[in-house]
Amino acid sequence: MDVTVIAETSGDGLHPVTAQLVGAAASIGGTPTVLCAGGTGAAEAASISGVAKVISVVGDCFGTFDGAAWAEALNSVTGGDVIIAAASPSGREIAATMAAIRGIPIVQDATDLAPGISVTRPIYSGKAIETSTITTPCAITLRANAFDAAGKGGSAEVSTVNQSADVAVAVREAIAKASERLDVAEADIIISGGRGMGGPANFSHLNEIADMIGAAVGASRAAVDTWEEIPHGMQVGQTGKTVTPSLYIAVGISGAIQHLAGMRTSKYIVAINKDPDAPIFSVADYGIVATWEAALPALKEELGKL
Amino acid sequence: MGIAVLLKQVPDTTAKISVSGGRVDESAVSKWSMSPYDEYALESALQLKESGGGDLVAITCGPARAAKMLTDAAAVGADSLLHILVEDLNALDSTQVQTILAAAVAHSGSDIVFCGKQAADTNAGSTGPGVAHLMDASCVTMVSEVASDGSSLTAMRASPNGNERVAVSAPCVFAFDKGINELRRPNVRGIMMAKKKVAEVLGPADLGVDVSASSVSIVSHTPPPQKPPGQKFEGADSVAAVVGKLRDEANVI
Amino acid sequence: MAYEALDFYDIDSLLTDEERMVRDMVRDWVDEKIIPNIEKACRDGVFPDEWRVDLGEMGILGAPLEGYGCPGLSYIAYGLICQELERGDSGVRSFASVQGSLAMYPIWDFGSEEQKNHYLPKMTTGEWIGCFGLTEPDYGSNPGDMITRAEDKGDHYLLNGAKMWITNGTIADLAVVWAKLDGVIRGFIVEKDDPGFTAPEMTGKHSLKASVTSELVFQDCKIPKDRMLPHVKGLKGPFSCLNNARYGISWGAVGAAQSCFSSAREYSLSRIQFDHPIASFQLVQNKLAWMLREITKAQLLAYHLGKKKDEGTWIAEQISLAKMNNVDIALEIARMARDIHGANGILDEYPVMRHMANLESVKTYEGTHDIHNLILGRHITGIQAFTRES
Repeated sequence: MDVTVIAETSGDGLHPVTAQLVGAAASIGGTPTVLCAGGTGAAEAASISGVAKVISVVGDCFGTFDGAAWAEALNSVTGGDVIIAAASPSGREIAATMAAIRGIPIVQDATDLAPGISVTRPIYSGKAIETSTITTPCAITLRANAFDAAGKGGSAEVSTVNQSADVAVAVREAIAKASERLDVAEADIIISGGRGMGGPANFSHLNEIADMIGAAVGASRAAVDTWEEIPHGMQVGQTGKTVTPSLYIAVGISGAIQHLAGMRTSKYIVAINKDPDAPIFSVADYGIVATWEAALPALKEELGKL
Repeated sequence: MGIAVLLKQVPDTTAKISVSGGRVDESAVSKWSMSPYDEYALESALQLKESGGGDLVAITCGPARAAKMLTDAAAVGADSLLHILVEDLNALDSTQVQTILAAAVAHSGSDIVFCGKQAADTNAGSTGPGVAHLMDASCVTMVSEVASDGSSLTAMRASPNGNERVAVSAPCVFAFDKGINELRRPNVRGIMMAKKKVAEVLGPADLGVDVSASSVSIVSHTPPPQKPPGQKFEGADSVAAVVGKLRDEANVI
Repeated sequence: MAYEALDFYDIDSLLTDEERMVRDMVRDWVDEKIIPNIEKACRDGVFPDEWRVDLGEMGILGAPLEGYGCPGLSYIAYGLICQELERGDSGVRSFASVQGSLAMYPIWDFGSEEQKNHYLPKMTTGEWIGCFGLTEPDYGSNPGDMITRAEDKGDHYLLNGAKMWITNGTIADLAVVWAKLDGVIRGFIVEKDDPGFTAPEMTGKHSLKASVTSELVFQDCKIPKDRMLPHVKGLKGPFSCLNNARYGISWGAVGAAQSCFSSAREYSLSRIQFDHPIASFQLVQNKLAWMLREITKAQLLAYHLGKKKDEGTWIAEQISLAKMNNVDIALEIARMARDIHGANGILDEYPVMRHMANLESVKTYEGTHDIHNLILGRHITGIQAFTRES
């Protein structure tokens, strides 16, 4: 079964998820051909074990992102029974457009695949899991970190093809991201500090970690009431905001009932507190009994490795 | 301007989802709502209509209960409503849904389409780009804002370094991420006027779309795996292990 | 967690789509604007002007009135509006009750065409705020013996006297004032700039803190002749207004009770003592079940009364029953909810004690609990027991 893998890039290189896409393709008995839009990451893709070949697709349209143009260009370069891409914003768009061009169905955000093709994915924001079978030809996008990555040591052939398509989206102006951090009410990951942080200046550690993982920074009522530098807008709890992120990291927060009311429905809760009897541990999925001074630098280091 | 907004009714994001007999029990869903990203799309579409004139049609493909969502769209300003009645959306694959919606847009005569980037039930994101292709329209995704500068339409979309303003012309599809404006509240006048806006109800066959053979068949729905009981670790040395578990066990980073 | 209102006997299924949409519009507004800001408004003792603007924009002021730009909604819809506003705070609902039922309604029912066209359109948008001047320092349950008087001076009326406990008074653009003209109670529209009229705010309240409560003072207050309401004489005037407001309050009390129940339920599920949530203890379940029982009964009373209002088949005593019962149980529920919250219940982290304090006022105003009891007693027996006959 020929599988077309749309390489996912990060900056000028390959995103680690690409190796997972290749691994997943192999797991359903597919022979993966990796397409690199604009040629980005082609050499690296060729070194992924199990890749049959890499096609570096270069053309004018790859200067800026135009999902439809990229899809059209990539689509003309190879056939394949199955298209696999990452369930990233660009991956979803390119795969969906290629599927529409080919008139084939697409299922997005899969967390497991099996021959058949059987696709498992979360639905209703993870409140249920769906397993379905999809006929080939088809397109599937995969959730990051749900599949084992193929190893290194491959040496696939890289060919370069010139292929472009008409660009319909013209970029007029780039606006750099304002350094505003995400609001707690909207973020999928939140790291919050409590009175245990010792002082508002120490929230800078939380800010750094938040920037690393695209998280928002929250605070307990105790922190907001004690330190005027911590604004009410950051407060999570009964009289603050109620949040339901995928991950909530509570640092130096004891876990009084009013705070729990604001975050207990988070999907996963990590608690870092030096007091082993702190009530927060009763709701934490992963509790770390340690001082923030010791734990946060370690956390920064580990997250940096991802 | 002929503006169409594609709306999907989904279980409210706060509603409990229960599984019974291997399927999500829709009858047990306590509250149904407009999919959140669709709300941002609708608000932006209303603002575009208000600034440039034209007609706004709210379109949904779904079961009878979705009619209420169309009435809510009318209450905030949609001029007309189009309901493609499909009792079980789960029985259709992405190609069929997109074909129906593209045909519905054509039926309405609109050439500017707004939709949410992904629906809160499937979290897929195929509809915008797929419908755009079928309409032979340009497509901009991850949009937060749309404006008209007379001759073309501009949109603010996310980029790796922040945002960028892009320009397209009709026919085009805008797939919305979180927009800069929340959906406006209705008022009593809007609610009363909404009563008078009767939706046009069609079936897929009326649009010439065959929905007999889907390429995707659901095998089962299951509740999410039980989380393992809370684990407690001693000392900062355990941070590495916890981060690994967050990545591999919990899959949240 | 989005707010879920207790609706055990599914009153929701009895509503029209329009009624449901109006209710949801107000519910969402309360979630967005009231819940996050009410505790601060209470601490500061202010009614933010922004709320007046929002209420006007939503188009719910004077809900059941038809014509003159007014919403023309059903009485059920009006009830639902009050329910949702009071789930937020009784003071917010009081603003809307006074504006719609006590200030707009008398102009609508008893005013001249000129008065209706002049005042109602701006009151329904919230541009002009109204208030209702009946109660006096020495005349509460016995309004008939009021001493505020009006004298006909040929080309104007002269008002002398004082009213007390007047919601919106200090911020009002106009007041509908009931005063005796030659011994007969008539309604007069007093505007804020009329000479001899002041409306100082009453401070030091432990209840309805986010509501403006005022005195209205008339010292040779001169008002033009065209300000008298021509089409009503006697207590029938103010009592008609009060009937409408009381009807709204019977729904409002349900909202306050629902808020307290919801908070108590959530708290009891979260609060762990002796290794178990307190919701697992029998005494707590007993209290929650009692609350559910009373809220359900109150909802059905209010709903059926609303149907009778819409059909025109109601009598005043039916309104007395609903107001009295629903406010009484709401106050009990608030107290019980505070008890379930333990010490936490005294903090403004939770709404229960604020509702409790508010409901003390709601139990007394618009006809005290005891007065409504006697209204029913008179209806049952034919014998009035308000006072000893001399």
